[in-house]
Amino acid sequence: MKQGTLRAHRTITPWLFLAPAIVVLGVFFVGSAAQVVVFSFTRYSAFSEPEFVGLQNYRALLSDRVFFSAIANSFFYLLVTPALIVLALGSALVVDSTVRGGKLLRLLLFLPVVTPTIVAAVAWRLVLSEDNGLLNQIITLVPGAGPVRWLTEHPFTLMSAMMVTAWKGFGFYMMIFLAGLMQVPASTREAAAIDGAGPVGTFLHVTLPSLRPTIVLIAVISSISALKVFDELFVTVRGVPTDQQTAVPYIYDLAFERGAFGAACAAGVVLFAVILVFSLINLRLTSGRGE
Amino acid sequence: MSTGARHAGWILAGYAAAACLVALAIVPALWLVVGAFQSPQARLNTLSGPWTTDNFRDAWETGGLSIAAFNSVLVTLARAGLNVALAALAAYPLARFSFRGRQTVFVLVLATTMIPEQVIVVPMFKIAAGLGLYDSLAGAVIPFSVSAFGIFLCRQAFLAIPRDLEEAAWIDGASSLRIWWSVMLPLAAPSLALLALFSVIGAWSDLLWPLVILQSEERFTLPVAINRMLGVFATNPRVAYAASVLAIVPIVVFFIAIQRWLKPELFGGSVKG
Repeated sequence: MKQGTLRAHRTITPWLFLAPAIVVLGVFFVGSAAQVVVFSFTRYSAFSEPEFVGLQNYRALLSDRVFFSAIANSFFYLLVTPALIVLALGSALVVDSTVRGGKLLRLLLFLPVVTPTIVAAVAWRLVLSEDNGLLNQIITLVPGAGPVRWLTEHPFTLMSAMMVTAWKGFGFYMMIFLAGLMQVPASTREAAAIDGAGPVGTFLHVTLPSLRPTIVLIAVISSISALKVFDELFVTVRGVPTDQQTAVPYIYDLAFERGAFGAACAAGVVLFAVILVFSLINLRLTSGRGE
Repeated sequence: MSTGARHAGWILAGYAAAACLVALAIVPALWLVVGAFQSPQARLNTLSGPWTTDNFRDAWETGGLSIAAFNSVLVTLARAGLNVALAALAAYPLARFSFRGRQTVFVLVLATTMIPEQVIVVPMFKIAAGLGLYDSLAGAVIPFSVSAFGIFLCRQAFLAIPRDLEEAAWIDGASSLRIWWSVMLPLAAPSLALLALFSVIGAWSDLLWPLVILQSEERFTLPVAINRMLGVFATNPRVAYAASVLAIVPIVVFFIAIQRWLKPELFGGSVKG
């Protein structure tokens, strides 16, 4: 028996505990991941069995203007990350510095997180209505500013979906920032204040540097989810052409509207490669912490 | 400016920022509620009537929301229950037992966190269909009945529990399952509650997978039903607004019930993996 383990047990026992999870993850995730690679080399549709065609799907993707637009839009969508960080960090600082009602404030700002994404998308679709939506009503108050075509004109459509992502996500990342702020000793911040640093100075020279790991972590996590976005686009800007959407709606359209499973799998593999870069950074960051 | 006045200025700015953030967080949802109660004659995006509750009736009856709500409750409870149970089961040997293959299992589980469901949705659909899960509520539940994230969360919670308590139970002759149930689970309760919260939010909100795997209207979950309403009631989106309002209510009630578990410390741990 290795040191540090509690006790001897029958060899089968750990596997009985593990079995249900291993079966589900093995069949649906590992199994699907293996198949997505295999299918990507086949001509495979909703109406035919897979037939090996080598790299044909990948070659077709390379000459597909729509695919490149979708990938480019996915990268554009990454701009939601800085917006999320500013909003989440700002919220965390406000909640953290509120003497009374901090808990209530935290609760209210977390409400969008529990809101189903489709509901968030429907709500924002109303707020962003082009004729007299709330946001356009506010914008047209500015002299000379005309209404923005949030739901039909590229790239405003992407920005609309990004607003939903930011709205739905900032409360979650705020919680992670609050956890990070707890690691900054109050005494350090008080010492800075006594030394004559104002709130801005304390933030810039004490709080912000100590939050660096949290910021990097959130940047990576939110970038990964930005690359995987689907609901926000599918609902908020319904009916917008695929070349004005991102990678996952493109894959969905290819597979379930056009029935081109093989091509959709190839697109999936490409998207996976992009996400993998971010995942590996994430893995490095997370395995370095908390051990 | 005196220090006191400057201090008061910062406090005021804090309150102003707090007010703006709260407005940002709740105004879109409130705006949806306003739209949901407006009759078709009322102009959307204004606060003018006439007001009505017909949209809710139309959504509930004509729109098939009653069935969808029932399906969503069923799917969400099943997914959340299974997620907590299966993750806690799998995490126990990973945290406490020494056995051949432990490291391999751990690395494989770790690897599945890097497989986005959005990328593998096509083969997952084929596998589920091959197992007879197409167009069934079980099909909406089973592929997402456990997550690697959940296993990590539970494993970390178990690792933080002192070993003495298990040893005492072991000396008393308790079985592994018994120790898991009556020692480990109660002590890991805050993490399990957080996992339940995330699972409930995720399952209640999930659109892509149910959209792919469910075909008949009588098996739709709320997000799929709302998505359909946006098309069917395109001329009167107020019905979809009413449906959306109805879809928020249970999750907000659940959230308020569970909010005392909602501590930032847990979130700090939850992203560490």
